Amino acid sequence: MKSQRTEERRPWGTLVALIIHTTRLQLRSVVVWGVALGLLNLLTVASFPAVEDQSQGLNDLVESYPPEMRELFGIGEGTDLTKIEDFLAAQTFNFLAPLALAFFPILASAGAIAGAEERGTIDVLLGNPVPRWQLVAGSFIATALSLLGILVILGLFTWVPAVLMDIDLSIRSTVEAVLNLWPLCTFFGGLAMLCSALFHRRVLAIAIPGAVLVGMYFVDALGNTVEELEDARPFTVFYHYASAIEDGIDWVSFGGITLVALLLVLLAALTFSRRDIYT
Amino acid sequence: MSAIIRTEGLSKTYGRRSRGIEDVNLRVDEGEVFGFLGPNGAGKTTTTRTLLNFLRPTGGRAEVFGMETRRESVAIRTLVGNLPGEFALEDRMTGERLLRIFARLRGVGDLRYAYELAERIEADLKRPMRRLSRGNKQKIGLVQAMFHRPPLLILDEPTGGLDPLVQEEFLEIIGETKAEGRTVFFSSHNLAEVERVCDRVGIIRAGRLVTVETTDTLLNKSFRHVSLTFDEPVDPEPFEKLPGVGELSAVGTSLSFTLYGNLDEVVKLAARGRLINMEYERPSLEEVFLAYYGDHENGGS
Repeated sequence: MKSQRTEERRPWGTLVALIIHTTRLQLRSVVVWGVALGLLNLLTVASFPAVEDQSQGLNDLVESYPPEMRELFGIGEGTDLTKIEDFLAAQTFNFLAPLALAFFPILASAGAIAGAEERGTIDVLLGNPVPRWQLVAGSFIATALSLLGILVILGLFTWVPAVLMDIDLSIRSTVEAVLNLWPLCTFFGGLAMLCSALFHRRVLAIAIPGAVLVGMYFVDALGNTVEELEDARPFTVFYHYASAIEDGIDWVSFGGITLVALLLVLLAALTFSRRDIYT
Repeated sequence: MSAIIRTEGLSKTYGRRSRGIEDVNLRVDEGEVFGFLGPNGAGKTTTTRTLLNFLRPTGGRAEVFGMETRRESVAIRTLVGNLPGEFALEDRMTGERLLRIFARLRGVGDLRYAYELAERIEADLKRPMRRLSRGNKQKIGLVQAMFHRPPLLILDEPTGGLDPLVQEEFLEIIGETKAEGRTVFFSSHNLAEVERVCDRVGIIRAGRLVTVETTDTLLNKSFRHVSLTFDEPVDPEPFEKLPGVGELSAVGTSLSFTLYGNLDEVVKLAARGRLINMEYERPSLEEVFLAYYGDHENGGS
């Protein structure tokens, strides 16, 4: 007896269905992450007028910090806190936003395979005619799309208050600032997906990319002032991240980081296709 | 009849210390209901997960619908409805949403049969998983395994957590599935239901398939419960000495024992006295199953 299925299944139909399914599951997280980070930026923007009045004193204070400390907090040489772009860069986009937001794709990717194995939900899903690589790709694409959703919310919470408060923040700078977070975050999402495929334990799929994230940040930040770390900086993602809100997006770096993220996902798909699934 | 499932020397080990399955040779024919029995840890789930390519065999091969499980797993899963042993879903999902997603994954456009199944086994499709009891989750699991009318059902402990009425309905659905010419392969601890619906039974012990028989053959080849009632008390000793007689008890004028051997000698010995009644019963499948794990010389084959 023929099973109840359409005569011709579209080969990519399962991938699209997985992307839609995963994106819907992540919708609540998108709102939570977007609003949480957005509120941080809203408060930062809202505090700018007060800071602007004392900007020279603040600039002098920041200049007095040790260079290593300034680098750690994303305050580069020549940062002018009287400009909203530099202020936002120093407060969020160079430090807090990338470190915090990278955990969204890390958690999502860790949960896609290893987490699904631990929850026991993966057998049900893969009982369907879904190639394993599509589970990996679909989860990653969905997470990348969800990430864009978070960035849209973040951008709105940054630009709209600036407009309302008559702060001279261009929409272009805002878009470039938030968009520039995307490849960096997807890189760590790709790394988490690879760990999820390799280790089938969610805690490792979170801890390893998390450690790499923090480690890379420190190496890049301290490499500016610590000679022994200088040569290692180009191997960190943060070296190529730059400050888009101040200088615009470096599209070569944007594409390069995205490409590495895709390679990590490809490795994850190959790894997952070859191993046992444990529940 | 063509073989829907065929394994040759199928083996799966988990490292050096942990045994999975070893040299399993199994054949399940089209249209039959095959019961797979074994205690926890015997290898039932390892076998079914290897058939679905969730686990890679360390030896041997397996084919489903003539397709090799490692190379053509996606095509196989198109034709299979699977209920895993531990059915779990995302907490916030409802059964209805799950079915819609799975329907999209399978290219199924019509969910009427899904709703019909849900109604028959009283599955609540509207409530999120986190608010469902184990039994109600299991019902969702059954619906998602069966809604697309797959040619092969692979069910791991399908009636776990179900109340008796729903179990009864499930067995009816299995009967309908068989009548449609579709094949069912399921593992179970509920030996009464296996005895009732299965055409053949395979018993796995410590990773090895110890026997595959039709249910009737398995029960007929096995031991018997014999009860003899005489008109006066008889000496049980001669009966005890008969080959294949075990667990003999003498109460008043009755003798009861388990017979693993030839009935002819028992009848001849009983005929020396004045026999009033004789009962000769097949064991339940549960007793047969336990015998494979017991210490009897002549238990089964």
